[in-house]
Amino acid sequence: MDITAELRKIVGVRLSVSPSELYCYSSDASQVKGTPDYVVRPKSTDEVSRIVKLAYENEIPVTARGAGTGLAGGAVPVRGGIVLDMSGMNRILEIDIDNIQVVVEPGIIQDALNDALIPYGFFFPPNPGSSAMCTIGGMIAYNASGMRCVKYGTTRNYVRDLEVVLADGTVIHTGSKMLKSAAGYDLTQLIIGSEGTLGIVTKAGLKIAPLPKTRKLVIASFENAEIAGQAVVKTFSNGVIPSACEILDRVSLQVLKRYDPKLVLPSEGDVLLFEVDGTENSAREAAEQIIEVCSPLALSIKLAESENEMADIWAARKFVGAAVSRLDPTKTRIYVGEDVGVPIKKIPELLKRAQEISEKFNLPAMKYGHIGDGNLHLALFIDVLNKDEWDRLNQVADLIHRTAIELGGTVSSEHGIGAARAEYMKAQWGPAFEVMRAIKKALDPKGILNPGKLGL
Amino acid sequence: MKTVKNKEKREIKRAKELDKSEISEMKGKNQPFELDRRSVYKCVQCGTCRSVCPVFNVVGWESANTRGRMLIIKSLLEGRPPSEDVLPSLASCTTCGICAAKCPAGVNPPEVVEAARAQLVKCGITTEVQEKLRASVITSGNSFGEAKDRTHWLSETERSQLTEKSDYVYFVGCFDSYRYPEFAEKTFKVLQRFVVTLLPDEQCCASPLLRTGFREDAEKVMKRNLEQIRKVGAHTIITSCAGCYTTLKNNYPEELHVISLPEFLAEHLDELKLKKLDLTVTYHDPCHMGRHNKIYEAPRKVIQAICTLKEMKNIKENSRCCGGGGGVRIGYPDISLELARNRLEDVPEGVDYIITSCPLCVRNLRDAGGDIEVIDIVELVAMAME
Repeated sequence: MDITAELRKIVGVRLSVSPSELYCYSSDASQVKGTPDYVVRPKSTDEVSRIVKLAYENEIPVTARGAGTGLAGGAVPVRGGIVLDMSGMNRILEIDIDNIQVVVEPGIIQDALNDALIPYGFFFPPNPGSSAMCTIGGMIAYNASGMRCVKYGTTRNYVRDLEVVLADGTVIHTGSKMLKSAAGYDLTQLIIGSEGTLGIVTKAGLKIAPLPKTRKLVIASFENAEIAGQAVVKTFSNGVIPSACEILDRVSLQVLKRYDPKLVLPSEGDVLLFEVDGTENSAREAAEQIIEVCSPLALSIKLAESENEMADIWAARKFVGAAVSRLDPTKTRIYVGEDVGVPIKKIPELLKRAQEISEKFNLPAMKYGHIGDGNLHLALFIDVLNKDEWDRLNQVADLIHRTAIELGGTVSSEHGIGAARAEYMKAQWGPAFEVMRAIKKALDPKGILNPGKLGL
Repeated sequence: MKTVKNKEKREIKRAKELDKSEISEMKGKNQPFELDRRSVYKCVQCGTCRSVCPVFNVVGWESANTRGRMLIIKSLLEGRPPSEDVLPSLASCTTCGICAAKCPAGVNPPEVVEAARAQLVKCGITTEVQEKLRASVITSGNSFGEAKDRTHWLSETERSQLTEKSDYVYFVGCFDSYRYPEFAEKTFKVLQRFVVTLLPDEQCCASPLLRTGFREDAEKVMKRNLEQIRKVGAHTIITSCAGCYTTLKNNYPEELHVISLPEFLAEHLDELKLKKLDLTVTYHDPCHMGRHNKIYEAPRKVIQAICTLKEMKNIKENSRCCGGGGGVRIGYPDISLELARNRLEDVPEGVDYIITSCPLCVRNLRDAGGDIEVIDIVELVAMAME
């Protein structure tokens, strides 16, 4: 069968087999590579269904892709086949304030959704660092979260219903606008985080939340990252739940200050950023409590003085991951071992061991991340023209992953497994991984949906 | 005061296109594709640029955004043989630079794209439109292939008063010379009181050649301008075109002191004695004057000295491209106009004019339609001087 001709019948000019185009779809922000044979940009559920049905009948791999901002190769077609570029399906179909929900297509950009919700006084809380470019579909597929999930939870907590195209092209709905349901398996939750291996999301009903009246930011610095970790544990055990709790180690601080010299950040130590939100009174009380609890451990601690100061710090924080090249143009951030997580109590130990591993392999690393939920973004940067540095980089990443598992944590807290972390799934899950295999087999017997991912 | 003889200029031959054998002689399919690797490898493929690239916003394919272009360039550096297949991606960048402004890793994609285009030219991979543009510039000295005298808009008296030596040269540019001579006239009138002269045989500044990869040809054209500038003995070059400005400032030798018309006007506001006008206008930052050279305040100062300025939705560093630059207007007119239409969406309600300081922006924004007249800043100044 002439697949090109068949695909053209479905999407017309929104099909490409140009080598340059295919090359542009052969990677995301990870180191995983795989070139597709076809790229299509569907515009409707019907088109997706027909494409997937065609792929099913001809046993062609199908990999869904949003903005390609993933850090684990989830959207990379490692076995070739068809890439479904979902970013053109980007409409907001319904803003239903009475039910505190929205219905969107998967290609909508996270910030665009929130821009549309601001006039209503609502927001979609999960906010990855890539919110300016990542799609909601990608966030659902990888259960993305971000800085505020310490209080607001992850994408998983906000999805009410999904329209999903199954491996044979069948279209199902996994939920409804109901806030709760006790009718059978929760297929919505099954699809979230399944990385396009069980079905293709074509619509999503999402819960939204009212925007808080105010936000405040406490900036504290500590002698070392380990003590900062202890301060986080102490804050939580004192009953304060910040809306964000981030760590920036001293290397990250240097990079940020180079990025924006005007940033008001401490000049020494490792820094914690605690954001609290709510009413003016509740936010102030929470901020005061954090200052009281952390002061005995901190080198310095203060409340951000203005909205602008806060906004600048958060904007810079979003960019810290890739900004290392500004400090040293011969270094490039490589996203490996960048998303481990451990139970909060184990954070000081993770930080200590990460530092030891980085020193052992003589590979400097920035340590930053959502320390409030145990998620550490270890940022490794190397000279990409130096093979030895690549070797050491991969060894460090491997050890970091194994350390996280050993501490009872996860190799990925919010970026996903994709192909980059597939080899750790068995070690992390043990016999539970076989259950995942069984589910995959039941829903995708021919293995056409995003093959080569999740270690399945 | 000695007058310049313009006889030679009037005898410029009619533009002709290079014949095919001439073009193919310069091409070399087996030439290696070389580029500063670090400028490319700094890219971490995060996709920040994808969210702001105006061409991608219209086209929708990954190859039409900056990250896609960087990936394609990377593939060429890593040995993929260059072919015509890369042109729709690499030739469709307007070099607006919003990606560079947003890139967390500090990559400068317009520079990388221009360098890649130069390599493609070296490898003999160009579009027909590119070749036509090149032929126009090198055979007629302007990007339109016009045979007409470049200073046709000058009156005989003005022509006779041009000095051979001067501290200031007004570099007119192809657009104002041939498409908007009324801008050239007005600019010259404003500048006359500061005793400016014109180059006796001004050539295209070479921007179209540099932006589309013809670096060797550009060198020749630039040399001709430079020799004349030195001969005139000017310490300052004033230009009202954003494309000419960035080229003269950043591609010509550093010895040149180049100043844009808005900067010059802002510096001499007191002497200009402008009257207030009962107008409300908005200002479009041309990419090559704004983001590339950070000239944001001078045009605003001039405008506010005359009338009320109401800003567009996206301004200064975040200003959206009009779609005219980087060879896209001529190479991909549909995409270019779509960008201009998108830019017009940023225009606020209740303004009398859209002001800008680049004739290419004027043209593209005018061609995009819309109800509000687009004018060059010099026209506003001229109104305030009447």
